[in-house]
Amino acid sequence: MSETREVPAEAQDEGAEAPARAGLRGALRRRLTETTTWTALILLGIVAGFAALRFQQFATVFNFRNIAADASGLLIIAVGMTFVIITAGIDLSVGSVLVFSGVIAAKVMLAVGGESWGAIGAGLVAGLVAGTAWGVVNGVLITKARVPPLIVTLGTLGMALGSALLITGGIDVRGVPLRLTTTIGIGQLAGVPYVVLIAAVVTAVGAVTLSMTRFGRYTYAIGSNAEAARRAGINVDRHLIKVYGLSGFLAGMAGMVSLARFATTTIGGHSTDNLAAIAAVVLGGTSLFGGIGTVLGTVVGVFIPAVLQNGFVILGVQPFWQQVAVGAVLIVAVYIDQLKRRAQERGERR
Amino acid sequence: MSEPLLESRGITKSFGGVRALRGADFAVHPGEVAALVGDNGAGKSTLVKILSGTLAPDGGEIWFEGRQVTIPTPVAARELGIETVYQDLALAPELDPAANLFLGRELVRPGLLGRLGFLDKAAMRRRTNRAFADLGIGLQDTGAMVANLSGGQRQSVAVSRAATWVSKVVFMDEPTAALGVVQSGHVRDLIRRVRDSGIAVVLISHNMPEVMELADRIEVLRLGARVARYRAADTTMEQVIAAMTGALEPGEVA
Amino acid sequence: MRTRWLVGLAALALTLAACGGGDDEGGGTSGGGGAAKQYKLTLIQGVKGDQFYITMECGAQEAAKAAGATLDVTAPDEFDASLQTPIVNAVVAKKPDAILIAPTDTKAMIPSLTQAKAAGIKLVFVDTTTENGAELAESEIASDNEEGGREAARTLAKLTGGKGSVLVINVKPGISTTDARAKGFEEEIKKTPGLKYIGQEYSNDKPDVAAAKATAALAAHPDLVGIFGTNLFSAEGAATGLRSAGSAEKVKIVGFDAGPKQVEDLQSGIVQALIAQKPADIGKAGVEQAIAALNGEPVQKKIGTGFVVVTKDNMNDPDVKPFLYKSTC
Repeated sequence: MSETREVPAEAQDEGAEAPARAGLRGALRRRLTETTTWTALILLGIVAGFAALRFQQFATVFNFRNIAADASGLLIIAVGMTFVIITAGIDLSVGSVLVFSGVIAAKVMLAVGGESWGAIGAGLVAGLVAGTAWGVVNGVLITKARVPPLIVTLGTLGMALGSALLITGGIDVRGVPLRLTTTIGIGQLAGVPYVVLIAAVVTAVGAVTLSMTRFGRYTYAIGSNAEAARRAGINVDRHLIKVYGLSGFLAGMAGMVSLARFATTTIGGHSTDNLAAIAAVVLGGTSLFGGIGTVLGTVVGVFIPAVLQNGFVILGVQPFWQQVAVGAVLIVAVYIDQLKRRAQERGERR
Repeated sequence: MSEPLLESRGITKSFGGVRALRGADFAVHPGEVAALVGDNGAGKSTLVKILSGTLAPDGGEIWFEGRQVTIPTPVAARELGIETVYQDLALAPELDPAANLFLGRELVRPGLLGRLGFLDKAAMRRRTNRAFADLGIGLQDTGAMVANLSGGQRQSVAVSRAATWVSKVVFMDEPTAALGVVQSGHVRDLIRRVRDSGIAVVLISHNMPEVMELADRIEVLRLGARVARYRAADTTMEQVIAAMTGALEPGEVA
Repeated sequence: MRTRWLVGLAALALTLAACGGGDDEGGGTSGGGGAAKQYKLTLIQGVKGDQFYITMECGAQEAAKAAGATLDVTAPDEFDASLQTPIVNAVVAKKPDAILIAPTDTKAMIPSLTQAKAAGIKLVFVDTTTENGAELAESEIASDNEEGGREAARTLAKLTGGKGSVLVINVKPGISTTDARAKGFEEEIKKTPGLKYIGQEYSNDKPDVAAAKATAALAAHPDLVGIFGTNLFSAEGAATGLRSAGSAEKVKIVGFDAGPKQVEDLQSGIVQALIAQKPADIGKAGVEQAIAALNGEPVQKKIGTGFVVVTKDNMNDPDVKPFLYKSTC
């Protein structure tokens, strides 16, 4: 690789200084106007609103702990979905893969038998492998067969759920080792539920990977301009397979978390997980067209519907209003994002 | 005349029923600007894509530094020391200029972090700022998305990227198309500097005055094949245009 | 700047609208006598939009009003523990005095309900229950579902003339009530030797799945003469499936639960009999037991409510009609 052209030292420093100072100012302005900031404000507004209306009931450690525990599965899936949507793709199969992975894990645990950590560990590995396998299937079909992600993952949505139903006969697998439920499912470490810790670790690793590593950079590049990435020498196909594999892996992990919490495979309860994850990612500021988004935004996007549902139940609002409200917030948040983008374009264009 | 650095001999390429290249020859030598000109549909961009590894030829040979080679991928071209400024720029709009400059060649942190793939964004930004200073590109906010830059600034980023990484041959497909007067001047200065440092520059341009000003040699492509080659000093714009449009009899002038 | 106001306003408006839309804060305010404390109760149904639970809600609301208590009602989108759990958790945060709940799984709901009990909230299980229901809840109130299943078997034997194959379309295993109904049916149907019991299919509480299973069973067993649908959606779905297959006359259906759609089916002759539970009684008893527990009075640990067999002939009788399920209170 050649070095940059040699330029006299003084000119070098002068040339580098001015842009650097301006860059810092610009970076700050950018951070303040990002969509994540807006949706975080919306979330804070909602929390403040509920706290104002029902302080003793809503604003307790007990309640927040439950909100976090209930949202942990969705957060894990949504982290994977963030990567997928940033590549300008989509993964509709996550709910089904979650169920399938849970079924495989439960069956393995029952087959090994007993209450040992060995049985639980075997089930965990099996579940994660199953989830990753579906993800890789998605990735291969999308890149090699050149079928659009929407269609491919719609297909695997049906295939994964159908396979799970075939294996179980349509009946939830129950009888998972009790130890899994009592320790990880409902257990806590220093007051924080294990499932929340798992979700937090996944989120942290995901955020760091996306913003600070080459893997994350390639994800953004492919979503922004896949052809440019290809010409720059990035193996786009291999990267996409890894991204969809990651989404499947995390769906498998969410399946394990669900299994631990409920001790059954809850086959019927995950049919809208895919849309909830997509809504969370979009609410967090990720563009469906690719190239833009953050994991932190997704966290905000996951908690907005979770807090809304919790607050509405506390207030005694009719359940159907909750769905209306979540949909409305989604539209408002995306609308504000559009306004901001248009303003930014007008402002920065020279 | 020294040995050609990069040469195409009899390249053919068809897209469905359309024969884009019918035995195209081309040559460029180190330390010269060779302009590749031709009317619309002559096959210039196709030839550039083949020589830069983006497309595969149907037939013909490619010779580099006296050996026959194949250039199956853009990475293969890069490894030979060939860089390209594409007509569509091939930039990622949602990434900033530094990210685009280092696309596919990212700098990683030293040590363990580097092996895990952690980026050294500060170093990339510093090198990018220097490269821009080189080109006289004044970007107030180098952290902005490329999509939010003007067309001219975007083109400057693409040109700067190729100039930064090139070691042997650089293809520039319409490099000043979106640029204003001042910036065009900068790019032309850059092209001359690159040429003077021994690199072979292939200039594809519709801008005939610019071609006549910059090029050392001119090769004319028409209907997928070479019809003329001129030394810029020994020819006129009218002669070149005539060769492009087929008004004159094809003739080889060394 | 303007957009920031928009955001704050939107969030505020949303939450204000939310508290304004709380029209399920039912019950009287100062209904009963001045000495009685006004208790706050919450009813968590098994699933939204199911007339069985709506009728239960009506009965519960009346009883709450009479006792001077307030009753909030909420429910998950699907009959599934993973969706009911966050709701239980949120209700517990609300700290009502007592929760009436129809648990959607005998095992999976135990953790969240244990947490509720630990928070000092009294639990009453209506309709379904958990494996450890006797420990967790003050009272378990349900129809005697095994007897209901037996009654269904007897009715189906009469309707089919005692010859042919019969099928049960159940919901999913792990629901105490429907499991009991199927069990009761299986036992009783043996007493009619001419009827061959071909087993259970599961509808997962989805009418379209029930319809598909019914038509598939008919294709596999041309001598199918009777179907017992163990809950509202299962029976309704089976009827729809047979109607679109054009076999409504051939196969007699006995359903469980008497929702308006099923009563229509009864009228048009697609379903021949319905084993109606008395969900309003369950709701009423639930509220009464909850209040008794809160007042420190003796409670009945188990209450079994009865059935009514509804047919086209008797559905307008004054002792049958009130037990048809409601869609609104």
